[in-house]
Amino acid sequence: MPTNNPLPPKENALFKRILKCYEQKQYKNGLKFAKQILSNPKFSEHGETLAMKGLSLNCLGRKEEAYDYVRRGLRNDLRSHVCWHVYGLLQRSDRKYDEAIKAYRNALKWDKDNLQILRDLSLLQIQMRDLEGYRDTRYHLLVLRPGQRASWIGYAMSYHLLKDYDMALKILEEFRKTQMPKPMDYEFSELLMYQNTVLQEAGMIEESLEHLTVYDKQIVDRVAFLETRAALWMKIGKESDAAGIYKDLCHRNPENWAYYRGMETAVQPETEDLRLQLYKDVLEKFPKASAPKRMPLSFITGESFRSHMDTYFRRAFHKGTPPLFVTLQSLYAEPFRVQMIEDLLLSYLKNLKENDRFDESEESEKEPPTALLWVYFYLAQHFDYQGDTKRALQFIDAALEHTPLLIELYALKAKIYKHAGDIEEAIRMMDEAQSLDTADRYINSKCAKYMLRGNLINEAAEMCAKFTREGVSPMDNLNEMQCMWFQTESAAAYQRLGRWGEALKKCHEVDRHFTEIIEDQFDFHTYCMRKMTLRSYVGLLRLEDVLRKHPFYFKAARIAIEIYLHLHAHPVTENEQDKSQDTENLTPSELKKLRNKQRKAQKKAQLAQEKQKAEQEKKEQQNKKVADGELDGPKEEELVPDKLAKADNPLDQAVRFLKPLQTHGSNRIETHILAYEIYSRKGKLLLMLQSIKRGVLVDKNNPQFHICLIRFLQLVKQKNDIPESVSLVLKEEMSKIYDDQDAKSLNELFLQRNSKSVLHHLAAARMMTELDDNEITQKKALELATQISDNITGIDISNCIEVLESMCRGDFGKCEETARDYQVKCHALFPHSPSFVIPANSQPDQILANGGTV
Amino acid sequence: MAAEDEQAELEVEEETKANKTKKLAKHDSGAADLEKVTDYVEEAEISSYIGDAMRVVNDRKTKEVAEKHEKEKELSKVKINKEDVDLIVYEMEISRAVAERKLREHKGNVVEALVELTN
Repeated sequence: MPTNNPLPPKENALFKRILKCYEQKQYKNGLKFAKQILSNPKFSEHGETLAMKGLSLNCLGRKEEAYDYVRRGLRNDLRSHVCWHVYGLLQRSDRKYDEAIKAYRNALKWDKDNLQILRDLSLLQIQMRDLEGYRDTRYHLLVLRPGQRASWIGYAMSYHLLKDYDMALKILEEFRKTQMPKPMDYEFSELLMYQNTVLQEAGMIEESLEHLTVYDKQIVDRVAFLETRAALWMKIGKESDAAGIYKDLCHRNPENWAYYRGMETAVQPETEDLRLQLYKDVLEKFPKASAPKRMPLSFITGESFRSHMDTYFRRAFHKGTPPLFVTLQSLYAEPFRVQMIEDLLLSYLKNLKENDRFDESEESEKEPPTALLWVYFYLAQHFDYQGDTKRALQFIDAALEHTPLLIELYALKAKIYKHAGDIEEAIRMMDEAQSLDTADRYINSKCAKYMLRGNLINEAAEMCAKFTREGVSPMDNLNEMQCMWFQTESAAAYQRLGRWGEALKKCHEVDRHFTEIIEDQFDFHTYCMRKMTLRSYVGLLRLEDVLRKHPFYFKAARIAIEIYLHLHAHPVTENEQDKSQDTENLTPSELKKLRNKQRKAQKKAQLAQEKQKAEQEKKEQQNKKVADGELDGPKEEELVPDKLAKADNPLDQAVRFLKPLQTHGSNRIETHILAYEIYSRKGKLLLMLQSIKRGVLVDKNNPQFHICLIRFLQLVKQKNDIPESVSLVLKEEMSKIYDDQDAKSLNELFLQRNSKSVLHHLAAARMMTELDDNEITQKKALELATQISDNITGIDISNCIEVLESMCRGDFGKCEETARDYQVKCHALFPHSPSFVIPANSQPDQILANGGTV
Repeated sequence: MAAEDEQAELEVEEETKANKTKKLAKHDSGAADLEKVTDYVEEAEISSYIGDAMRVVNDRKTKEVAEKHEKEKELSKVKINKEDVDLIVYEMEISRAVAERKLREHKGNVVEALVELTN
């Protein structure tokens, strides 16, 4: 070994014991042995011992000392693979994977065939998706240990991930030949199925089918076998063979919708009756199955639909199925189905009331009283879904009168109020529901969520506290549990309250959850290889690659970006706290009262903080006791709301949240709108162009995006100090997008294309005033924006609020009277919603309550 | 050096080919036993494949490396303007390395490079 100063036998034995202690996690003992070596003045600067001491310290949570010792060790023995390896491990524990890879490479320079280091390196490479590096390392490992199956699998997989299917298949095939499967050998079966997956991905359909046939007997995952075979047969046009399999599968599991769909595409029934017959056949064999009863409802028409729906309903109401509406909701896309459903329901209602039966006949058995209850319950949902709040409330009240203590009824009533825009009443109802069964976590969470929608954040946290761990603040516990619905909803609530720092904290917490989930895959690299669950492993890797596609991330990122955009325009100054109230319009006495109140609140907050701090300290002490075990990742920087709200470079922070959206969420128009908003504030013309170009591909009719389009055109037209090459790019690319038309005619065209939608009206009207600022246009624009009639779509609470807010913001100049008129109209339209408010003083350039950026 | 090893292994493999099949049959209980298999048989048996496969890999690798090298050489020949690189870095907020590479790929034509980057 090329280390600089080898130890004499006695010390060497001690050193070996340090290594052993490390492996067995007896770090303290390891430190004792290290001390024994280092206390000998001859070896007080022995590099490898110092490094090992550092590593042991690191595992005991003494990070700074750890770095000191490891660095010192490395300096004293730069040619020792042990020192470099330890340095790499230290970096790895801090999640600095790039640095760790470098350190391992250095270690390998001094000991190129060290298995442990190569294995560690390969793990980091796959984690970082350095696929070529991974392949090379796996090759090295294969050469060193050809007898281990992990060597072969890892090597093959590296080629698979690099999409070099030929090579991957060759290696897998050679490896398969060495295997001697036992009967019912699950791992061998997984290997075969993995091999088959690679064949499919390589586009070798025939070979893949052949492969399935050859190994039919050895594949134990029969469902996967059948599904794959059917899908492959479909691909090469052997529909009748595939149909047979899908029938088999339907008999295996008559509730899997995908099998019926497969069967339909394979059989291609020509008429509705033939199509229906497919389901009847299964139903005959499995009379209790529900999928073959539900699925035909989506395609049968006319009388057939009515009679099937009738049977379906009767059975459901007789039995009492609370989620009935949810299962049928997709039918509501077609008006004729809705009408027939309504007719059926109203006839049940009448007959049940008069006759206790679903129809007028006297022969059939009487229905139980609950049948009527569930009909009421369904009708309430039926009308709520169609926006008919009045009738929905009528039926839910009838239901409540019928059975006053049913939780579902209160929950539904809350929902109806929520849809009607009256969140306060909704919260009250949900709280009522929750109080009927405080041991039910579902209803508890629902209640908390409603509270968050009503900006009652503390109340929501207290509600959740009924189920979170005792002794810890519910917010912390929910964060620890990665409870993201709570965090995104809290962020939105804080945003509505203008408490930017708190909102940002929640957004960052969600972002960290995603980072952590990506970190968590580390353990699977070894585990899956050992257990041969290769198909799931590749699935996992691919999932992690696009993890931030998830709606939770999207929500959090969007809120964060909106807030950072706001903070860019309105930085929070040193002595200014997040302010939720406007102080400008208050009389001096009111102001004084407010200040007093604030002071008291501050004092209270301070006390609470101190208490929390004490708790924190206690917790830390406890943690220290636990810390004898391995520490879980590095300590993250604490998120302090005030600090977050005073970010130095809000736009850069916004970009940080934007990037993942651009890579994974580029199919959503919001991504490009947000990108445009950020880069327009940064003044980067070409990046603005980028978001415009991408947005056009997604949805150029989106009203918000239309505003970006027009504004960009105007901006470029007015700017004159553009560098020549940039100007050339803009000219070339913009003529493709704008067709060399001017802003006004583009706006006209946009309006013509979307003449029936309220949000499009608003966008077009806003652009009209922006492009042509005179009274006549303003009047015309206002008329357009505030138009309310039956043939305009999208008239709902949130859109109307947007129109009103736009007016209050001054998008159309002074228009108080129109705004008041509009407000009255809205209140008439949505009598339950108190949210059409005209603020006392309008604040331009404000991020609005409903989340729209200006 | 690696090639020599393979050669040697190949020879070993040929010598043992005759009795290999017999030996293999003994180890018929699959994966767990693979670990226990004596080094000699295992190495001989698998290296036969490695010999073949590696030749394929190595051939391909040399080719890949050569192609890559060729491309890099060509790219490095392209003359690029420092101002153009500065402009790309500033406008697109990307690293210098990426900016330079894009510029080279477009033979130093800054407009074309920017058009691609805004896609």
